[in-house]
Amino acid sequence: MFSGTAYGVALNDRRQLEARADSFHQPPYGRPPEAAVLYIKPRTCVTAGGAPTPLPPELGEVEIASTLALLFGGSPGAKSPDVSAVCLALDVSEWHQDFYRPAIRQRCRDGFLPLGRWTSPQTTYGDLVTEIDGREVHRWSLDRLFRPIDALVAELHAYLDFSPGDLLLVGLPGDAPRAALGQSVVVRSEGLPSLQTTIVAEVVS
Amino acid sequence: MRRAKISYAGRALWADLLDDDVLRLADGTLLPAEAAVWLPPVEPNATVFALGLNYADHIGELGFKPPETPLVFLKGSSAFVGHGGVSPLPVGARQMHPECELVAVIGRPARRVSRSNALDYVGGYTVANDYAIREYLENYYRPNLKVKSRAATTGLGPWIVDARDIGDPQDLTLSTRVNGQEVQQGSTRDMVFDVATMVEYLSEFMTLMPGDMILTGTPQGVHFVSGGDEVVCEVEKVGRLVNLVEVGG
Repeated sequence: MFSGTAYGVALNDRRQLEARADSFHQPPYGRPPEAAVLYIKPRTCVTAGGAPTPLPPELGEVEIASTLALLFGGSPGAKSPDVSAVCLALDVSEWHQDFYRPAIRQRCRDGFLPLGRWTSPQTTYGDLVTEIDGREVHRWSLDRLFRPIDALVAELHAYLDFSPGDLLLVGLPGDAPRAALGQSVVVRSEGLPSLQTTIVAEVVS
Repeated sequence: MRRAKISYAGRALWADLLDDDVLRLADGTLLPAEAAVWLPPVEPNATVFALGLNYADHIGELGFKPPETPLVFLKGSSAFVGHGGVSPLPVGARQMHPECELVAVIGRPARRVSRSNALDYVGGYTVANDYAIREYLENYYRPNLKVKSRAATTGLGPWIVDARDIGDPQDLTLSTRVNGQEVQQGSTRDMVFDVATMVEYLSEFMTLMPGDMILTGTPQGVHFVSGGDEVVCEVEKVGRLVNLVEVGG
């Protein structure tokens, strides 16, 4: 089970990188990213079992990016970490296009990482399909990943030491859809348990 | 009261420090501190925030303007190493510098806490040595994790001191010494965003949980370390954190 740090990688979608290529040469970036662009989702983001996703009152909608979550097992310090399980994930965020400073407020809100049920890793993955209120609104293939899963894990493990219980979101589609209050969201992909959540108003007691 | 996380008799345990050299385990067993290995006093799933550019003198030294909102980044669990531990200086890297920081440890769940009672949610304090390796800086989610969340490059500890034993967290001196030579010296008075402000700021948009930590930034003094250096970060009333630098990793 997830019991460590939840890492994610931004700007790992080839289409998004191509579309933004010019901007990477402008301030404040200056040049394109060399290392994988990592972020962390706090434990308070993670929900499971179809739990609703809270929409903070000041946000009209949230970006909902379908992705695959890897769960690490095996022994820490190993040359190459085992991926012991995978699940579908929905990385929820406040839409942002500024990648200069860490997007803490945008990415780290309570309930902003619904996970599907864990299952065994597969050798290949089908399209990740997102439906809102029963209608398909987005579909992407992990073939779009600039750093494919194995290369990404190897690059990061060289300086991060993934431990058993850590989680990695392998990349986000640059054209992720958005969802609003009351909408029901499903992410499905052949061979993986589907993920379902509903966008509800955030209640803070 | 001081609480330490140690490795002893094949287990990770939390223990109370009775004085500077006696640890008391949960079952009452007493043992000399030198029998224990100090682990970073943090659980692997804690949310650990860190602040960049949070001391006026350090901002000036780096040539930046003070931020209008806190510059917050997060650290993954593999980044931490305990008191007396070893931090790798990557082969070929020259610009690795220690950063002594006061760390606030959250004591109870905090959501939408106001600054005026924010310190009630802080359970204790510890010390961090938040190394940066400047060669790896890139302008994407900067400071990026390759700079700030490398395995074993954030010293934490030696222990957590109860908040009530500290009093005002904004009146503590802090310093770093490398092989006995002072390379950083400052006071938590000079923070741009103080501990209470940070608890208010973060808890406005998310829930802070017990054991979560806020590394509150570092004062001026950028000194690049070398393999074999002994680095000591000290925060008044909180503790003295020792770290060794070794080339590798």
